[in-house]
Amino acid sequence: MNDTGCIHLNNFKAAKGTNPYKIVHAFFVSCTSYEARRYKATSCLCFTCGKAGPRMHSCLHCIFFACYNGHIQDHSKSKKHFLYVDLSYGNVFCAQCQDYIYDRELTELSRNYRVKEAKALGISVPYTPWLPNNNEVMALRRLRKRRLISPHTTIGLRGLQNLGSTCFMNCIVQTLIHTPLLRDYFLGEKHKCKTQGSGKCLVCEVSKLFQEFYSGAKTPLTLHRLLHLIWTHARHLAGYEQQDAHEFFIATLDVLHRHCMNGVEDTEKKENGRCNCIIDQIFTGGLQSDVVCTSCSGVSTTIDPFWDISLDVAGPGSLQACLERFTRAEHLGSAAKIKCSNCRAYRESTKQLTLETLPIVASFHLKRFEHSSQIDRKISAFVSFPAELDMTPFMSTHRRAVEAADNNNAPEGVFEDNRYSLFAVVNHLGSLDAGHYTAYVRQMKGSWFKCDDHMITRASLREVLDSEGYPDLSFCSRVVNYHCWSYK
Amino acid sequence: MTVNNTIAHQRLTLTGDRERFKELLRRRLIECGWRDQVRMLCREIVKENDGNNVTFDTLVTRVTPRARALVPDTVKKELLQKIKTHLY
Repeated sequence: MNDTGCIHLNNFKAAKGTNPYKIVHAFFVSCTSYEARRYKATSCLCFTCGKAGPRMHSCLHCIFFACYNGHIQDHSKSKKHFLYVDLSYGNVFCAQCQDYIYDRELTELSRNYRVKEAKALGISVPYTPWLPNNNEVMALRRLRKRRLISPHTTIGLRGLQNLGSTCFMNCIVQTLIHTPLLRDYFLGEKHKCKTQGSGKCLVCEVSKLFQEFYSGAKTPLTLHRLLHLIWTHARHLAGYEQQDAHEFFIATLDVLHRHCMNGVEDTEKKENGRCNCIIDQIFTGGLQSDVVCTSCSGVSTTIDPFWDISLDVAGPGSLQACLERFTRAEHLGSAAKIKCSNCRAYRESTKQLTLETLPIVASFHLKRFEHSSQIDRKISAFVSFPAELDMTPFMSTHRRAVEAADNNNAPEGVFEDNRYSLFAVVNHLGSLDAGHYTAYVRQMKGSWFKCDDHMITRASLREVLDSEGYPDLSFCSRVVNYHCWSYK
Repeated sequence: MTVNNTIAHQRLTLTGDRERFKELLRRRLIECGWRDQVRMLCREIVKENDGNNVTFDTLVTRVTPRARALVPDTVKKELLQKIKTHLY
């Protein structure tokens, strides 16, 4: 497909510019305002038959709307107006070439209007696949080596050597490498670092690691540089002891988040007061805490950012049950009175946690290790978790709507999609002080692999969900175009 | 299309909900693999006619019946149900 249009469109553009196209697009293809939607609703009916379809088109030469059932063609023939625009997609049809034609400039305009429309309606911006620019086309031409990605490809999978009780690190690294959006970020070389080459930036190190994973080589990697960097920047983790994978995960995110700022000007750092580094964009959600005074019913609300959700394990159950318990209103009792700003006195209160904003990747940590002054122990109860998880019931807005509707009506939110899909699980086997971590990761569409240090073996989804090692951490990604890598 | 249908169509367009439903449908069709299947169908037809230019119209007439049949019932049901509850 070429995107240089045709002679007829180019002549039209030379004579009248892109304005006619812009007007048709902004008002009748992707409405960027309420006014535009009003125009579209009232006037986009076929001028000949009065119907709203099929496939409405607008003439690019004059004000005329008609359907593709012959009427737009009739108009085109009788008036010799050869160009018309499809009102669903914004593509231009040339009656002289007898087909839709594509012009780079108009395609670019169209995409901008679509983004504007999506923003105006509060829906997610339509996904547009990556198109190489001229430089990238040249680079691809120069690079003769091609690799075919099929369901059996094992590219992106590599074992990691155990450096002496470092299986906790290997599992977390495997998980991060298989986080879909992180992969896209790093393989797209989006990290621009000021300290380039100094060897002190963890983000640069992870960037190199992605190159290693996707180089096609199969020998296990040794992560001594990464481990050293994390030891330097998170001193509490240093030493050759078995560490807690969850603690390591949070510390790694923290160091990555700090190092992401290495190449960024101060002015770009924050958007609406929130950090917009890749780590925060992917992992940060908002946890809402409502404290309700039992005597005046006054509510005090705070919202805190979170990178993971730590859940208590109270015996065998499911992840949903844990989340249900996590978001249940809890009476704080007479021993824990809180000062109510409304009554100006210490009152008994109830506290409820809900999810105010959801992150793109949700990580759930099951608190299996119990540390108390008397005893440290591991709770080995089986907690099941689904391959697909709907987070809607645990959202703040949902809880409010349910209470308001008195449980009778389903809350609003037809267009919301809060489904998550599982892509990694970290398991802890054995006892508290003599244990071993392994991870399951999803690669490509629906292929699962078990990562046990340097060993990578194929696994089935059933195996992952039934994992006998009792999951310690599970990672779910929002269902957003994760499939876009699946074919080719 | 009856007068009632036209009014419903106009109301959905005015509020922007038509776009929202379209986006939902688009997402569902991508998720279930329908878009990839249709892309393969189109590719086959282009290959059959190699050399000769395949126009959009021929592609539409050849692919539409098969593409329609490939839409999963669950997707149709979900959309129908959501549009119904939304309109009444």
